[in-house]
Amino acid sequence: MPNYIRNGLRSGFVFGIVIIFLILIGFTRVANELLAPLVKGTSQLPMGFILFMALLGLWAGASAAKRSPVLMGMPDTYQKWNAIISGLIAGIIGGAFVGLFIFVLGSIQTKGMDMRVYLAQLSPDAIKMLTLGRVAWAGAFSIWLIFVITGIAGGLLALFSDSFKLGERMSSSWKNMSAGIGDSAIAKTVNQNAVVRYILYGIFIIILLILPSFLGKYWNYTLGTIGIYIIMGLGINIIIGMAGLLNLGYVAFFAVGAYTVGLLTAPAPQGLHWNFWIGLLVAMVMAAFVGWLLGIPVLRLRGDYLAIVTLGFGEMIRVLVRSKALSSIFGGPQGVRDIAGPMIFGQRFTEREYLYLIVAVIIFTIFITIRLQNSHLGRAWGAMREDQTVAQAMGINIFRYKLLAFALGAAIGGLAGVMFASRNQYTGPEDHTLMVSVNVLALVIVGGMGSIPGIILGSFVLKGLPELLRQIEDYRLLVFGGLLVVMMIVKPEGLWPSKRRQLEMSDVDLPPETDALQVLEEQSSDQKLRGES
Amino acid sequence: MSSQNIVLETRKVTKRFGGLTAVSGVNLVIPEKGIISVIGPNGAGKTTFFNCVSGFYQPDEGEIIFSDRNNKHVDLVGFAPDNIVALGISRTYQNIRLFANMTAVENIMVGMHPHLKTTWFEAILRTPRLVKEEKDSITEATRLLQFVGLAGAGDELARNLPYGAQRRLEIARALANKPRLLLLDEPTAGMNNKETAEMTEFIRRLRSELGISIFLIEHDMHVVMGISDYITVLDYGEKIAEGTPEQIQKNPRVIEAYLGRGAAAGLHKKSAAADVVAQ
Amino acid sequence: MAETSTSEGRKKSLSTYQIAQIIIGVLFITYLTWRLYTVLIVEGVYGPDTWLRFAITGLVIGGVYAVIAIGYTLVYGILFMINFAHGEIMMLGAFAGYFVFEALNVVIIDPINKVTFSNAYPVLAIILAFLTGMIVSSVTAVTLERIAYRPLRTAPRLVPLISAVGASIFLQNLAQLMFSPQQRTYINPQALERGAGWTVIVNGNNVVIPYTGAFTFIVSIILMVGLYLLVKRTRMGRAMRAVAENKQTAALMGIDVDGVISQTFAISGILAGAAGVLWGIHNGVVNHYVGFIPGIKAFTAAVLGGIGNIPGAMVGGLFLGIIESVGPAILGIDFQLKDVIAFSILILVLIFRPSGILGEVLSEEKV
Repeated sequence: MPNYIRNGLRSGFVFGIVIIFLILIGFTRVANELLAPLVKGTSQLPMGFILFMALLGLWAGASAAKRSPVLMGMPDTYQKWNAIISGLIAGIIGGAFVGLFIFVLGSIQTKGMDMRVYLAQLSPDAIKMLTLGRVAWAGAFSIWLIFVITGIAGGLLALFSDSFKLGERMSSSWKNMSAGIGDSAIAKTVNQNAVVRYILYGIFIIILLILPSFLGKYWNYTLGTIGIYIIMGLGINIIIGMAGLLNLGYVAFFAVGAYTVGLLTAPAPQGLHWNFWIGLLVAMVMAAFVGWLLGIPVLRLRGDYLAIVTLGFGEMIRVLVRSKALSSIFGGPQGVRDIAGPMIFGQRFTEREYLYLIVAVIIFTIFITIRLQNSHLGRAWGAMREDQTVAQAMGINIFRYKLLAFALGAAIGGLAGVMFASRNQYTGPEDHTLMVSVNVLALVIVGGMGSIPGIILGSFVLKGLPELLRQIEDYRLLVFGGLLVVMMIVKPEGLWPSKRRQLEMSDVDLPPETDALQVLEEQSSDQKLRGES
Repeated sequence: MSSQNIVLETRKVTKRFGGLTAVSGVNLVIPEKGIISVIGPNGAGKTTFFNCVSGFYQPDEGEIIFSDRNNKHVDLVGFAPDNIVALGISRTYQNIRLFANMTAVENIMVGMHPHLKTTWFEAILRTPRLVKEEKDSITEATRLLQFVGLAGAGDELARNLPYGAQRRLEIARALANKPRLLLLDEPTAGMNNKETAEMTEFIRRLRSELGISIFLIEHDMHVVMGISDYITVLDYGEKIAEGTPEQIQKNPRVIEAYLGRGAAAGLHKKSAAADVVAQ
Repeated sequence: MAETSTSEGRKKSLSTYQIAQIIIGVLFITYLTWRLYTVLIVEGVYGPDTWLRFAITGLVIGGVYAVIAIGYTLVYGILFMINFAHGEIMMLGAFAGYFVFEALNVVIIDPINKVTFSNAYPVLAIILAFLTGMIVSSVTAVTLERIAYRPLRTAPRLVPLISAVGASIFLQNLAQLMFSPQQRTYINPQALERGAGWTVIVNGNNVVIPYTGAFTFIVSIILMVGLYLLVKRTRMGRAMRAVAENKQTAALMGIDVDGVISQTFAISGILAGAAGVLWGIHNGVVNHYVGFIPGIKAFTAAVLGGIGNIPGAMVGGLFLGIIESVGPAILGIDFQLKDVIAFSILILVLIFRPSGILGEVLSEEKV
């Protein structure tokens, strides 16, 4: 089968399947609402949906044609119209998938069955939109036609953009984008020049100091939440970014902090009524202690095991505090209410004052992070991350340093927990789900491990952006999951990586060795003939 | 040799991997300021023996007595590698294992680790003691760089250094620990004649200027015969010979181990043997 | 002499871990003996009939864990990565089975007596449900490998793991958006009705051995044996073992490494799909979250048995299942806390035998 036909088939197939999934998760409906303002028409047709389909068709055609040999630099072997045929085939196949699917849906609909029982998004209205308000076959055929036409158009577009070298320009600008902020000149100066960096931090802090006064309660609260995530990101960065230990249960430390301060200061279930600041200190120490205690058995395990044990530990803490049997200690599913907070002139902190407090804590945490990073501890952790065996041969007690990273990271996690619980005046088991751990981990990875600006950026992207995109809120987690995968494939070092990390990520990792393998390797190093390395 | 002059003594060190005995009852003495080499054909157990001394393997039998910086005798068996390093034994690796993404100075500073006294708490507070310690570390690292002939390369990433410089940096990193005994695993591997000669000279300087004892694995017979005080020959994990370079060159068992029985019978002249052994 | 005294201090500190081990071990054994003594002899709350009930529950759930755990172990053995989305793959299989039963329940064979297809041909219906579940899960697993893991094969190990976490979140939310968060109830054929079972009289009390439980256990044993034979006896199994041992060498021997990895994912998906349908048949409810806890538990089981070790996964699964059902009773704590027991056991096993029960050799080297 000629290449261009195969490309068309493949593109059509992929786009067909993807669109069917988009219909199933109800995204077509959202797209209709989002795009409708662009094509205000008088007709009864769902123009937004039609535009969405047309765009996807264009994309399918273009992506099929772009792969065709004539555009890959083999001009003489194939004719230009092959690109258009690729687009056409992509349109026909993709359209057939979608059309058939819509036809089936429409037919079932006319039989009077409510499909929402099984597939939540397929309400009668949604199906009416899919069939463009016509009978099933007519709607399906129209969609198919749209797809075929836009598929050809996509092929043409690919040809056209090729003759103007649009593709190259686009791909190079994409490369620039994907090379990311970390590579840009500004970031380089920021990374290298300490003065510039501190000035930038200063500006950032000043903005943060002025901003809250102009914002309402809601945005102060949201920014506060982002800030708490920044604190957690900085904390987990000590564990993952500096010491290279994977922790999927960071929420456990967050929970320890929140619950410690809660139980010590709240009227129920313990009724201790401690002062908030003492509670804060105790909570941090407690979190560090829990981290240390957890670390003793698990830090001798390799990374994957560590990941799963910490994950289990995070869930375990949630189950414990939630348990009805222990509700006299932890308050059970209702959680702990009326947690104390810092006072100002005899008044509790407002959202705005909490934001200031959180910013102060962030600065404190950044300070600690930088100090640690630039000390012998930072070097020892870096050495461990790079080559544990050699690090040990340099006299570094691996176990002790891992424990230290765990405990310090845990203390900061606990601090974040204190902020969270005291600001909400409440904490309960559902504040401490696995999603918190995953969010924190993800923001560090998306932002750039080991990089403070990266973590701040990551927090804003992952926790702030969804606030702006309310319309697609339902798809937040879906996009989030997909984003993690894409990020790992395209840019595993993060949006704003630290220089060091970038180097490490560019290393081709050695295949994991088993102990047996290692023994063999050590043995064969005796046997290896002298050779150039 | 009187006993206080001995830096390291192994007694009947044995290491097994499953059914295979990689090192079998090896006795060895390293005198102070001595350069002692282990040679042997491929698979003779040299690196395994090295790993036993540096603590990465625990020997199944035997003792490894080390006389530390205060001439106190310690049995190294049962110690973790980091503790052994702290006692004063440093090592390098056959296939250079620097921290590739750190600068040269940072690499050396990691090597100084056992001598750092400050804690994490001081690191956060940045106490005067820590500031002084850091400053001293950097001075010392710069001095070491100069000593190994890498002055000015301090801010270079280790991965960007040329091969020979990486070898020297690895030795500098080992020296940062102020070792009493230095284990060098094939320090001239992959070097050309000129570089090899320089390295040989450099190893001599380590002894004469720093007073360090050196324990060496080496394949290049010219190097071995040139710098060793004593040579121990291992074959199939067992010590088959021991002595000065001249004695080893004449030893029929050594020739046999390297070249097989038939070849050994045809060779009588020591120089011929040495030449062949050296490839 | 200060130097030497610290060095000797260090030598002692080397064994603090062992001391901690001994202390924890003694405490645990003392506690366990005390609890066993109180529960079994002093209080005697539970008669043999209750223990039998616990054992049945444990074996059934343990069988499912074991089947899922094999999927983890297979993938881990070959790629040295945790397929974090494995639980979600199982969940999709459970949904597939649900839809098949639902559809077959709509088809009416005998209009007079209102006999549905799944009641008229229960065996066929069950086979269809399993086949669909297995195919859906298997296709998902293979697609996942192609999209999310294959490009990352040479990357540092954190990278594919995070990709897997992302895939897991993605699949979970995909299912939630498509099927809505509501719980759904499996409509089993009447022959496998939930709650029904054989009644045995023990200690004067009735103990019900549920049909679904027996069915689940038998099917999981069949799956395990089948998988074991597949890996040990067939050409495909041999290729898989070769790739697990050394990818480069396997490739040099003419083995299609990518193909073998795809096959491994396909098989682990098939097992996960079957486990999903079993889960649905026995427990009755499915939602988008149903894969998460069994997924983590199964991974725990795989680690308990020694990851990368297929018999280990089976033993670990059954062991974990029984611990979970018997544990709370023995320790006299709330049954809600069974997950806590499962993870405590994991931590204990890792302290004393980091290689797992049937052990693959582990070391810090791999961190």
